[in-house]
Amino acid sequence: MEFVSLEGFRLDGRRPMEMRQIRAEIGAVAKADGSAVFEMGNTKVIAAVYGPREVQNRTQQINDQALVRCEYSMANFSTGDRMRKPKGDRRSTEISLVIRQTMEACILTHLMPRSQIDIFVQVLQADGGTRSACINAATLALADAGIPMRDLVTSCSSGYLNSTPLLDLNYVEDSAGGPDVTVGFLPKLDKVTLLQMDSKLPIDIFENVMQLAIEGCKAIANYIREIMLENTKQLEYRRGI
Amino acid sequence: MVGLSLGEKHFIQGGIAQDIRSDGRKRLTYRPINVETGVIPQANGSARIRMGATDVISTVKAELGKPISLQPDKGKVSIYVDCSPTAAPMFEGRGGEELSTELSVALQRSLLGGKSGAGAGIDLSSLVVVEGKICWDLYIDCLVVCSDGNLLDALGAAIKAALSNTGIPRVQVAAGASGDEQPEVDISDEEFLQFDTSDIPVIVTLTKVGRHYIVDATTEEESQMSSAISISVNRKGHICGLTKRGGAGLDPSIVLDMISVAKHVSEQLINKLDSEIAAAEAGEDES
Amino acid sequence: MAGQPGTTPTTYSPSPTTQKTRKPIFNKDDVDWVRPDGRGFHQCRPAFFRTGAVNAASGSAYAEFGNTKVIVSVFGPRESKKAMMYSDLGRLNCSVSYTTFATPVRGQGSEHKDFSSMLHKSLEGAIILETFPKTTVDVFALVLESGGSDLPVVISCASLALADAGILMHDLVASVSLSCLGKNLVIDPILEEESYQDGGLLITCMPSRYEVTQLTVTGEWSTPKINEGMQLCLDACSKLAKIMRSCLKEATSTSQE
Repeated sequence: MEFVSLEGFRLDGRRPMEMRQIRAEIGAVAKADGSAVFEMGNTKVIAAVYGPREVQNRTQQINDQALVRCEYSMANFSTGDRMRKPKGDRRSTEISLVIRQTMEACILTHLMPRSQIDIFVQVLQADGGTRSACINAATLALADAGIPMRDLVTSCSSGYLNSTPLLDLNYVEDSAGGPDVTVGFLPKLDKVTLLQMDSKLPIDIFENVMQLAIEGCKAIANYIREIMLENTKQLEYRRGI
Repeated sequence: MVGLSLGEKHFIQGGIAQDIRSDGRKRLTYRPINVETGVIPQANGSARIRMGATDVISTVKAELGKPISLQPDKGKVSIYVDCSPTAAPMFEGRGGEELSTELSVALQRSLLGGKSGAGAGIDLSSLVVVEGKICWDLYIDCLVVCSDGNLLDALGAAIKAALSNTGIPRVQVAAGASGDEQPEVDISDEEFLQFDTSDIPVIVTLTKVGRHYIVDATTEEESQMSSAISISVNRKGHICGLTKRGGAGLDPSIVLDMISVAKHVSEQLINKLDSEIAAAEAGEDES
Repeated sequence: MAGQPGTTPTTYSPSPTTQKTRKPIFNKDDVDWVRPDGRGFHQCRPAFFRTGAVNAASGSAYAEFGNTKVIVSVFGPRESKKAMMYSDLGRLNCSVSYTTFATPVRGQGSEHKDFSSMLHKSLEGAIILETFPKTTVDVFALVLESGGSDLPVVISCASLALADAGILMHDLVASVSLSCLGKNLVIDPILEEESYQDGGLLITCMPSRYEVTQLTVTGEWSTPKINEGMQLCLDACSKLAKIMRSCLKEATSTSQE
């Protein structure tokens, strides 16, 4: 199948190095301590953060740092053909773990010993790149909850199809079976915290593809920063400062 | 689950007794209802309803299926509710399942009518394509994104809005298939049929706190309830379903009184909801 | 016991071809149709109760209404699980299950997922939970044969089992349902009538206190009809409670002898 046309356009009309339209909104869940919606094209996720709060299950309490937990769930209507999946299947358990580890690495957990932070991500629409969208939403939600972090971790994916590196794969490109690199990146510290890849790639090309994903992460980080600044201005305005 | 001090409890109860609640509403006033339609483009119809902090999404997906043999002239509708853990940490894992089932069953009871299909808000016979062979199966999936009380009313309203937003593709049946053969169908991409949603009932939950009933209770108010009755009423003023919640017993005469109050409230709610849905639909067409 | 061979032959032929030919049990225009089991519209099936059906349980009861046969056992009060938070009130844990052979089509009983929570909601208002803090009472109901009006029978039987277990209650809980078929209200419907009903109404109440603990309505009803239905059910409940009471008295008098 042809994923990049001769004129250099992808199936959804993007250029190879073009990201889908991203949109973020802070404070989507009124009752949570922090929450955010993050959209990448048709992919749409909600993240809610509860905590830091008392540890619910005492046996899990850690004495010198905070316990970070994460649950990833997909709405029944999120995929094209409707199916009811049981909760906690392998895929969602794996993604929960990935998100948890990524977020745990950037939260200053040692500042909040004996407490618990819950991150819940809910996929409303899945069109490829849910993993990245979830991490971006979780970052915003954690920031909204005022949880101290080393940096804003952002994530983006990239792939390699028709001998072209492609940024931010959608569902069709993702299911083509080509290599799919997901990167989690700390823009200020210039460090990679998450790196996953399916399928195989020569090393020299891999470097290019990964670099592309990192560039995507940086672009998202800039956007997230803007959104947060805007949100802070709003709060400031409401307080009348 | 809701930690309230004794003072807060008295404040809520006292306010309700004096007909002015914590957020300034009267006993029978709803919170402002915000309707947004077409939020999930992948579905045939969808809507998001916000009442205060309560936030629910409802989607309708239509698939072609086969009618059950006992009722060959009727389509099938099923309603599922999912409580997202984003709404409350207690819904994590399987924690939300109990509430999900309770809400799903209550919604089915309120909207789908009796076993024979009589009194259903959705006209099931309109879903049939070829009698006994092909019909539309409607899957109504709801998601609770944020919960601040009165979930059932919000979900009922969201389903009504989502159905108003739903377009079912027109189906052409190929001629020639006879007997037991499954006829071939051609699903149109351009022509969509709209539902008549005027008969779909609204759900009114009356929560009894002390000696008074309130509508649209928040989580804090719900924690103070002795019992609650959810009544679904259609435009004709007929009762289409009723569910009682809360363990405490009620005198039968109080039940009847609550039913008449709910009927009165429902009239305003139906009108308000209809105008909100129409506004949301109009807004969507423009953008 | 009250088996009725031959009255419902279709229940033994689950293949869809035979179900298709099943006729509606009444014609909408037909004014004087009779119920499949020959009862009057406002006549309940004969009720049979017996306590002490399960030896290992702290209390148990068996109930039989026509073809509907259920057994309920009550365990506890026992210590609540350690993970549970402290509670001044006792906890009630209810579960309703069907045997695989309970329904005409094997394993169909799993459709009734909400019965457990309905049973819980019907009973919690009647039990004086303050009398057993920090502890849990388990109520397990098993439907041996489903013959219609399963939930009301389960609820009434469960309250009897609780009484047998010596759990303090405000009152016995009796439950009756009715179906609306066309213009008629038929009380205590059997499976066949339930599958054709236009609407249904279920009441559980504490007859001596005259309080409704649970009420569900499906289908379209006008207010006068709801009034009529509720009144019918409440009357039936109070009569049912008398039977339940006499069953309890009988059990104690035989044990004293």
